[in-house]
Amino acid sequence: MRKALVVLVAMLVLVSTAFTASAATTLEFLEVMTSPERTALLKSMIAEYEALNPDIKINLISPPYEQSEQKATLMLNTNQTLDIIEVRDLSAKQFVNNGKLTDLTEYLEAWTDAEPMTAVANAAARTVDNTPYLIPANIYIKALFVRRDVLREHGIHEIPTTLEELVETAIKITDPSKNQYGFTWRGKSSEIKFSDLFAAPYVEELKDAEFVYTDGEHHFRESGFKEGMELYIKLFKEAVPNDGINWGFNEQINAFVSGTTPFLIQDPDSIPLLDKMLGPDKYEVHPIPVGPYGFNYIDYGFAGLGIPSYSKHKEEAWEFIKWMSTSDKNGYYNQHYGPLPVHTATFENNEHFQGKHYVAYNYEMNHPEIFVPIPYDLSSEKWPGWAKIHETDMQSVLLGRMSLEQALGKWAKYWD
Amino acid sequence: MHGYKRYMLFSILPAFAFLALFIYLPITQGVLISFQGYTLYDMNNVKFIGLDNFKAIITDINFPFIQILFNTAIWVGVSLLMQFVLGFVLALLMRKPFKGRGIYSALVFYPWAMSGFAIGLIWAWLFNGQFGVINDILLRLGLISTPIGFLSNPSYAMISVLVANIWYGVPFFAIMLLAALQSVPAELIEAATIDGAGSTRRLFSIIIPYIKPTIVSTTLLRTMWIMNFPDIIYGMTSGGPANSTNILSTQMINKLLQFYDYGQGSAFGVVIMSLLFAFATFYLKLTSTKESDAA
Repeated sequence: MRKALVVLVAMLVLVSTAFTASAATTLEFLEVMTSPERTALLKSMIAEYEALNPDIKINLISPPYEQSEQKATLMLNTNQTLDIIEVRDLSAKQFVNNGKLTDLTEYLEAWTDAEPMTAVANAAARTVDNTPYLIPANIYIKALFVRRDVLREHGIHEIPTTLEELVETAIKITDPSKNQYGFTWRGKSSEIKFSDLFAAPYVEELKDAEFVYTDGEHHFRESGFKEGMELYIKLFKEAVPNDGINWGFNEQINAFVSGTTPFLIQDPDSIPLLDKMLGPDKYEVHPIPVGPYGFNYIDYGFAGLGIPSYSKHKEEAWEFIKWMSTSDKNGYYNQHYGPLPVHTATFENNEHFQGKHYVAYNYEMNHPEIFVPIPYDLSSEKWPGWAKIHETDMQSVLLGRMSLEQALGKWAKYWD
Repeated sequence: MHGYKRYMLFSILPAFAFLALFIYLPITQGVLISFQGYTLYDMNNVKFIGLDNFKAIITDINFPFIQILFNTAIWVGVSLLMQFVLGFVLALLMRKPFKGRGIYSALVFYPWAMSGFAIGLIWAWLFNGQFGVINDILLRLGLISTPIGFLSNPSYAMISVLVANIWYGVPFFAIMLLAALQSVPAELIEAATIDGAGSTRRLFSIIIPYIKPTIVSTTLLRTMWIMNFPDIIYGMTSGGPANSTNILSTQMINKLLQFYDYGQGSAFGVVIMSLLFAFATFYLKLTSTKESDAA
């Protein structure tokens, strides 16, 4: 009798939990740009959303950063349950090619109270096939970080506005015997985004180009590009410690914080880091120096949210993405995480993004005639691995194992 | 007898099924992919392309195959030799009890418990050309006048990653060889001593032959692990500068993570597997012949 009672109670409990479980929809959400701080931030925002929508539960999947891109690919390609996925510039094309992302055009058309986004954010949303497969959430563009205190010690009071001035100033303050160098080099992991920034604006036609370069359209044979590269190599030889060849993000931040190299080109997500390590008053952020034709290009990186094509809860997922994509929530998200928000209103209303460290970014985005937004052609099948090839060749050039002419010829052939 | 055989077959079936599912199936899959045009960029267009992936990795002008093979040989050869020698010395030192041996051995075995990427990051900072402790010590000792770019100078980069890997692998040999050394009967050594054998003679004529099976299996295992271990290099140099520390397994990772090319990545996997298979066959044959000679 007692046994029967226990069984009965157990069954009742099972049935009741089954009912409550079916009442709430659980959305699976995979983040990719994982870091402990960001995961905590996302979780707090999800908790807020769940409190507002008791019938929705969101399960955040946060693989370690190094594996997250693979995990995303694997989950999508094996159709594992997933309703919201973080898509970044580098993977968008791949996901679309494999038919794994939902075209959000219809959802966007029906979204009448959407707030206007910046030009860069709008372009980011339509990166692949001019179709909105994602709603951008974080924008990354580069600016010049400066240690004015170090420059002042060397009697320099003007911040360089052209690439040539930057190189001259960096060389001027370099004194290896005092371990003082001028520029924070990037030698590995996406070093291409730094070297192109010096060489490409020496090509006047770049201003009208659709991409920095693409299949069959590139500038590696232009004398201007070579001139820019020569300037960049000169910068390395005369204003950078030899060790720079092996510098990634961490080494860059360290060199800048220590004052060894008072010029750093970086994305806005370095701001919270530098605020913590150095203090907000110890550094300034200025627009990227321009080339001889008075412009430089702005290659924007981004991450946003999309819906897997096979999701069974697209409507619910869209509701969450909409909520995350209000200027209020997006502003809050980026304020605590670092990158730039996507709405024009945020730059006007949010005090944080009116702060001194963001003025340069705002200026860059509002002056497209000087800072021309030109992306890389991430859709090209030649893009995957290109950065690694470039890194190896560039290291060979800096080590004197390959001439600049050889490298340029090789790159031209690759993109012909 | 027949019934016994059937019983035996049934007994090994679960283990075999497990191996088949988790080892043989993925290996077969990997080998199949190495013959396919298989890139994450275009999963809808996967097809068999014969030996094209192998041709592509062997003729790659950006990442010369010969250089990668040479780097791999240095990486495996030097790492293994130094790990073994130092591990053996440590094991010999720790064989006899002394005060604080427990703490000492815990300290010695510590590196083995760390993840490869973490080790790579730690050593990358130690070898850093600007703020690295190693440069700092050398400068203070007056041995150098300007910091050395350990990880940015191709002549030093391979040595630096090797030092990190040797540091990591020594405890493995120390643990395994210490266990083996403790199994050498004391009376055997005693008898040899009475017969007038000196310590060198005892080492080479008694101890090493006695623990030879352990030496053979540990060196073989380590060879495989070192060859399949891109973590430290990836954390320290990503195979650079200019390919000078690029080995087969780091290039395999490059193909997967940077190029999204699983076909060529798997081709590297097949090359690694074939080399290890050939080495293991050769090595086991070599060591077992000697054993029967000795007997």
